[in-house]
Amino acid sequence: MIAKTKGIHDTKSFVGALSAVRYIDPKYVYIATSNVRCGQADVYIKEGDHVDICQVIGMRHGPFFDQPIHATISGTFVGYEKHYHRNGKLTDFIKIENDFKDTMDKSCQKRTPDEIEELTHDKARMTELLKETANVGLGGSSFPTYIKFQTDKKIDMILINAIECEPYITADHRLMLEFPYRVIDGIKYVMNAFDCKKAKICIKSKYKDIKEVYEKTLKEFPDSGIELACLGNYYPQGWEVEMIKNATGIQLNPGELPSNRGIMNFNVSTIVGIYKAVKYNMPVVKRFITVTGNGITTPKNFRLRVGTSIRDLIPMCGGYKHPEKDKIFILGGPMMGVSVPSDDCIVTKTVTSVIILDKEEYEEQPCVRCGSCVLSCPVHLEPVQIMNAVKTLDKERIKKLNPLRCIECGLCTYSCTSKIQVTDYIRKAKLIAKL
Amino acid sequence: MTIVKENAPHIRRKASVTRMMVDVLIALAPTLVFAIAVYPLQASYTLLISLFIMIGSEFVYVGLRNMLPKDDKKHSFKERFNYAYKGKFNRNNVLTASISAVIYTLIMPAGAPIYAIIVGAFAGIIIGKLVFGGLGSNIFNPAAVGMVFAKLCFGSQYVTDVPTWYCSMNDLGVSATPLGYINGGFLSNYNNYSLSNLFLGQIPGTLGEVYKVTILVGLVYLLIRRSADFRIVLSYLGAFALFSLTAGLAVYALDSSVNPFTFTLYSILSGGVLFGAVFMLTDPVTSPINSPSRWIYGLIAAVSTVFIRLFAALPEGVGFSILIANMFAVVLDHYEWSNPRYTWKKFLAMGLLIVIPVAIIFLSIRFGGVYHV
Repeated sequence: MIAKTKGIHDTKSFVGALSAVRYIDPKYVYIATSNVRCGQADVYIKEGDHVDICQVIGMRHGPFFDQPIHATISGTFVGYEKHYHRNGKLTDFIKIENDFKDTMDKSCQKRTPDEIEELTHDKARMTELLKETANVGLGGSSFPTYIKFQTDKKIDMILINAIECEPYITADHRLMLEFPYRVIDGIKYVMNAFDCKKAKICIKSKYKDIKEVYEKTLKEFPDSGIELACLGNYYPQGWEVEMIKNATGIQLNPGELPSNRGIMNFNVSTIVGIYKAVKYNMPVVKRFITVTGNGITTPKNFRLRVGTSIRDLIPMCGGYKHPEKDKIFILGGPMMGVSVPSDDCIVTKTVTSVIILDKEEYEEQPCVRCGSCVLSCPVHLEPVQIMNAVKTLDKERIKKLNPLRCIECGLCTYSCTSKIQVTDYIRKAKLIAKL
Repeated sequence: MTIVKENAPHIRRKASVTRMMVDVLIALAPTLVFAIAVYPLQASYTLLISLFIMIGSEFVYVGLRNMLPKDDKKHSFKERFNYAYKGKFNRNNVLTASISAVIYTLIMPAGAPIYAIIVGAFAGIIIGKLVFGGLGSNIFNPAAVGMVFAKLCFGSQYVTDVPTWYCSMNDLGVSATPLGYINGGFLSNYNNYSLSNLFLGQIPGTLGEVYKVTILVGLVYLLIRRSADFRIVLSYLGAFALFSLTAGLAVYALDSSVNPFTFTLYSILSGGVLFGAVFMLTDPVTSPINSPSRWIYGLIAAVSTVFIRLFAALPEGVGFSILIANMFAVVLDHYEWSNPRYTWKKFLAMGLLIVIPVAIIFLSIRFGGVYHV
């Protein structure tokens, strides 16, 4: 089939309509001591200590920043356990036993509207607050939000990424539908901080329900400057370059930061995280997550504590479907998400979904040069040429074909007529090109 | 149940090589049926011979390529056979070889002797495909290689045997095809075969190339199923029409009784232009990989077809021009300049590929004495 891949068939319209199940009282929660960006951590508490919600229990150390670790539940610290983290690695987790009392740490105090007004107009204080509450990009990047706030460029437009272009995931969809006021308040706080008058909430144009809700809600805030932008339905519309291009008409150069052109973009979950930080001085302790895929009996959306074990969720979804078949367990979307070798993994802040698919064996055929990967590539690379260069280990040719521009969206493998794992070759090419 | 780890992405599009190939076979089917109906005997044996030779060669090739490595132990024939063929010779090997065989059958001239068919089929599959490494690695279209090889070796021994129940008239003698006259005198030719004769294939010629109706049906099917790239078809047919119109206008300047538009239609409908554009140029294996290169590829094929038709000794240039364009496909894919973006340089190249041939065609026909009234 010689055709560009646009939409990816998925089950969003079905799962997106299910309201999220609240599961906020797990018996144990597990807090990661390290993550993708921070390799080491100091833990301040000892076994047997009592912790409150939002209490700082440790500090992760990254190459250029530190990140406090917050407890997401009140209870007793019972020890360390190894589980799979979102990055696919076995990691030490702090295990906290829930005492079901939900006692809050002293630092969590609700701010009055005046205090909020004062705080949000002070960008330096906002930056400090977001650093203390360890806010990161919740779309999956886990990029620290406060670093985005440190820019001194003039920002004219805030873009809210609620596109969620990966198939199957509906976590942001539910968040948008269930908490429209939190989203809008969060956007207002960010607009105040950047002293910016315009903001756009970017959604896919096929999300008629979100459109309806926000058109109604935004009428209550006539002078806010927040607009709804209905963009394309294709994948990868949620990639920031594509989103900025379609929402504002600005085409970023490869590698250019959006702030250079006066644009700042946030994921919608991050916005709600900022809202919580500003209004309640709280870090992210709860999040939306989708459990779906053809390997699970009933797909569901959840609102749960950060640190819940995914093993708790499987029985709530009716267990595995077709237990005789091998399964793939994905944290994140099916196009870019990480596959973990066990279901013993933990919902961290940046896990948007758990997708359980039946393992399908694809019979790889020789490439017939149909060119679908070239047509589909969003960064205008030629995946098949890079693959051939990797097969011959021709370093000069690989460098010339520029694989470092690849965003690993996975469309080349997805659209391959011959079922070749092209993306793997591109990953190898990236390693070779970096040498 | 076990949980397996694999690399992203975890889902795939519903598409397969098999589907693409079956689509091409389905698109070829009406033309093949027509060919067998009009030339029952010749089309059948050409098809059977070429299917047998092409699939057989592919089978032998796969066996030779995957021979069991030598060691001290003795292996039974069954073991050797399983090692060589299990999982390595599958439906796609059969399907590609049969596509080549069907296309080869349809572009063979009616009246080619059996030995020419056999030699051409061998040449097509071996020189055209297997020496390069089989499916996906060939540079040239195997069917075109076979046809050209047979024509160069045995072309003088072809006899045109026209079934009188379908072809309306044949006053020009046994070996005449409409194209044989396009260099010499267009009008005498036009008087013998009308446009509707050409369109319906009521002319002597090849076994399958002549039935334009069924070819167009096949084109529509291929484009709907996205198994052929519309860019190649459009650029080839568009550029060919433009060049023919230029030639027609130049002829009109010499001889006002020639209608340039009839001339253009006549050029497109005669010979293998439509068949080549729909089934041979669009073969993804032998065409360039990105879309701007595909536009240029079609233009190159059009230029060489027109030049061979107008200026070379051969009356029909589609087979040769496809082979020439196949060579350029490799050049267009060279990593130094291969890029899926449309740049002004590529537009310039396309423009030059249109403007220069137009000038050459017009000037040489108008003033160069290529056309004889």
